Amino acid sequence: MTILACAALSIGIFIYIFYPQSKTEEQTQKTRLEFLQERKETIYENLRDLNFEYRAGKYPEEDYLAQRASMENEAAQILSEIEFLETSMHAA
Amino acid sequence: MRAHPTHVPRVIDRSLLRTWFQLSAACLLLIFMAGAGDTSARYKLLGHQLMCTCSCGQVLLECNHVGCTVSAQEEAELRNALNRGDNNQLILQGFVQKYGPTVLAAPPENGFNLVAWIAPGLVFLLAMFGTALLIRKWRLQPVAMPPEMAADPHTSTILAKVRKETEL
Amino acid sequence: MAAFGSFAILLGLVLCAYTFVVGTIALRQIAVHPQASFGPERLAESARRAGIGSFIALSAAAFALIYCAFTNDFSVSYILHHSNRALPWPYKFAALWSGQEGSLLLWAWLLATYGFVLRVRHKVDVKLTAYASTILAAVQVFFTLLIVFPAPPFALTQGAVPADGFGLNPLLQYPEMVIHPPMLYLGYVGFSVPFAFALGALMMRYPGEKWIHITRRWTMVTWLFLTCGIFLGMHWAYAVLGWGGYWGWDPVENASLMPWLTGTAFLHSVMMQEKRGMMKSWNVWLIFTTFMLSILGTLLTRSGLVSSVHAFAASSIGTWFWVFLLIVLSVCLFTYILQRDHLQSEHKLESLVSRESSFLFNNLVLLAACFTILWGTLFPIISEYVEGSKVTVGPPFYNRVAVPIGVFLLLLTGIGPILAWRSTSFKSVQRNFLWPCIAGVVTALVLMAAGMRPWQDVGTLYSLMTFSLAALVMTAVGSEFWRGARVIQRHTGKNMLFSLVQLTRRNTRRYGGHLVHIGVVIVFIGFAGSAFNQSNEQEMGFHDSMTIGPYRLVCQSYTQDSNANYDSEYELLNVYKNGKFLTQMAPERRFYHASQQTETMVANHSTLERDLYVVYEGRNQDTNQPIIKVIINPLVAWIWIGVAVMAFGTLLALVPNMSAEQAARPRKQQAEEEVALTAGAGD
Repeated sequence: MTILACAALSIGIFIYIFYPQSKTEEQTQKTRLEFLQERKETIYENLRDLNFEYRAGKYPEEDYLAQRASMENEAAQILSEIEFLETSMHAA
Repeated sequence: MRAHPTHVPRVIDRSLLRTWFQLSAACLLLIFMAGAGDTSARYKLLGHQLMCTCSCGQVLLECNHVGCTVSAQEEAELRNALNRGDNNQLILQGFVQKYGPTVLAAPPENGFNLVAWIAPGLVFLLAMFGTALLIRKWRLQPVAMPPEMAADPHTSTILAKVRKETEL
Repeated sequence: MAAFGSFAILLGLVLCAYTFVVGTIALRQIAVHPQASFGPERLAESARRAGIGSFIALSAAAFALIYCAFTNDFSVSYILHHSNRALPWPYKFAALWSGQEGSLLLWAWLLATYGFVLRVRHKVDVKLTAYASTILAAVQVFFTLLIVFPAPPFALTQGAVPADGFGLNPLLQYPEMVIHPPMLYLGYVGFSVPFAFALGALMMRYPGEKWIHITRRWTMVTWLFLTCGIFLGMHWAYAVLGWGGYWGWDPVENASLMPWLTGTAFLHSVMMQEKRGMMKSWNVWLIFTTFMLSILGTLLTRSGLVSSVHAFAASSIGTWFWVFLLIVLSVCLFTYILQRDHLQSEHKLESLVSRESSFLFNNLVLLAACFTILWGTLFPIISEYVEGSKVTVGPPFYNRVAVPIGVFLLLLTGIGPILAWRSTSFKSVQRNFLWPCIAGVVTALVLMAAGMRPWQDVGTLYSLMTFSLAALVMTAVGSEFWRGARVIQRHTGKNMLFSLVQLTRRNTRRYGGHLVHIGVVIVFIGFAGSAFNQSNEQEMGFHDSMTIGPYRLVCQSYTQDSNANYDSEYELLNVYKNGKFLTQMAPERRFYHASQQTETMVANHSTLERDLYVVYEGRNQDTNQPIIKVIINPLVAWIWIGVAVMAFGTLLALVPNMSAEQAARPRKQQAEEEVALTAGAGD
């Protein structure tokens, strides 16, 4: 009985591991575009946060404007790179 | 009465003493007078500075380990010493001589054991100092700002897009 | 069944070793030849599946052990020593973690379970998961090795098999004990996952900070388990051990607190990395340290290096842990040195008065607390080495050294959320701190007027500071909610309650986090009550009475009882409060047959204001009358309430955010959409 249970367990797992796969998930390296999209999301979130906190009265106006400008520039830079990469991909 | 003479000097906050001088003086007098004969408060205090030595790892007066003969005996010894009129230092000394230094619930504040008390504070202060230095160093370095964007029409449309998408 | 269990463990070992070795080879090949053929990917896939297989095998082993417990198979030595026939069935489950072999099996199984979830969800990021899975498999190999060689749970009983077992330690025969250890282990083990991800991300030079996003939920869930585990342990100590307290600064308790402190620091500072790309090296080391501390904790308590009240199983597996810890440390150091250029900060700290720097100080204080506890736990060993004689580092030490740190931390809990990211100008500091500070000062003044005398002893001083800081933090956090909700209200035009809900749904992590802070404050209020404990101990025969605080206890009867599992003695006490009958209490003491051990069963009448905690101490040998100890513990109930709030806040933080646009959509637009929707539904 015990031997049977042990055998069943091992054979079951063995089949599960080595059962031929039609398709395996590929380990892709993250592309520059994906990386930029992530960055964009983060900066967007920070910007929304900044806007929200300003409206909640946490920032004096001059701090807010300076920080927003710096973050918006950062976002714009990333957006233009994304745009460039996307157009060059379409072209190719 | 919770307080007692030996406890008083360490506890009093100087700034409070200034502010509440009169009240505190009255309190002090009261504590000294009431505390002088209060053996039960001293019993509680000393009983919490000693460990039960039956290896249960509990503070003497909190040892509830069933059938523990050691703690009852230690408690009796403590009561006897208090009734004899020994001072706190002498009582603790007596316990150390009989049961070894592990009978004290915290390391004594002398010799190498002083390190036990100093190290956490020292590390805390050093870390504070280190953090302050770090922040200073960071602030002295110029902040990595993205280069200013040229004011061409394309950039301004992108900027407008960013602003619109992150409004709230 | 024992043979099947042993086989399943061996199979589990083979499978996780396969995952580790083959996974490493596959990753290496993919790294060296990124454009190579299909081969390494298939190898990696088989490694992933073997990892899942190890979960199945170890589940079978855990099942086998529980099956042995339920069928009273005393031919298995572990079951013989940790169970008996009369043991109620829920405690037969608890037998799985009441001894060393069983708890190591539980540990290995939980690790495999976490690994299972991670490997099943590999599509989140196939490559990163492959790295994490391989690293986790290495940890699995270690724990499975432990239950194969030094601590096999299915070892057979030598000689003739006794008819009945020696029973479960009566201290563990308590409902919470069925969930406390698994919770704690889930916490300890869980840190392996963010650890594996962090190490993996560093090894593969993962671009960006997305891995933090991937592990965020893992870390929070783990933290929640550890928090609940620690507090369940406190509650168990309070309700079962019967000494009237909940925290004794015992090495086992300390061991669980240390990774909690560094884990909490990590949860905070990782936000700086996610948002601003800062403090990358620091975070990596925080999670490495947290993982190593959870191993060190086990090492300290299991190896008998430091003695502890509830090291339920001490043994010689210390060497294994030392070696493992050294390997982990070397791998971490080596990887860090090799890849440290990958961890350059993208931003610098812009201002001392900013949330970033408050996180820095928060980290500092948490780590200082962790160091203090580690120092206190290890000092007896250091002292023995230097001086030749051991000393005790007990509660008085921690109360004097760690409590001020705790109070300081409470202050930071209030300051942090008020500060803005990047920088906060003096004007806004003034504006944001005014009300919280007023609340703190007013609370202190009111309490002093009500009779608190902080200059009389340190305990009162600390508790006054705690109450005052609690008011400060509550006001600060409350104003965060209020101001945020006002913005939403202005935007949507809905009422305040709706706005509060929208606000929270919009950024669950932040507002869930604020709720956790409120929970922490409530817990601290509970702690502060301990400065006003009272106790009395007295022999109480028939109709004897005792007065303590507002209560009078009168003995109604005392008697004895017996059942298959234990004999008991108890006393019935009528409790009167201010002259009125309140309740009847029955403190008890049990003698368990199987283990031949005596245990007290505390009677506790708990209200928000105070707990009336009654212990049956035993009988006076001369008079044969029961001795009753009564302790009044003010505000203890708040600790458990605070933990519930903390748990709720953490669960809230786990809920995905509603999109920002949706949360703040103006009412008109929303109404229009609703109309469109109903019109559509009518079609």
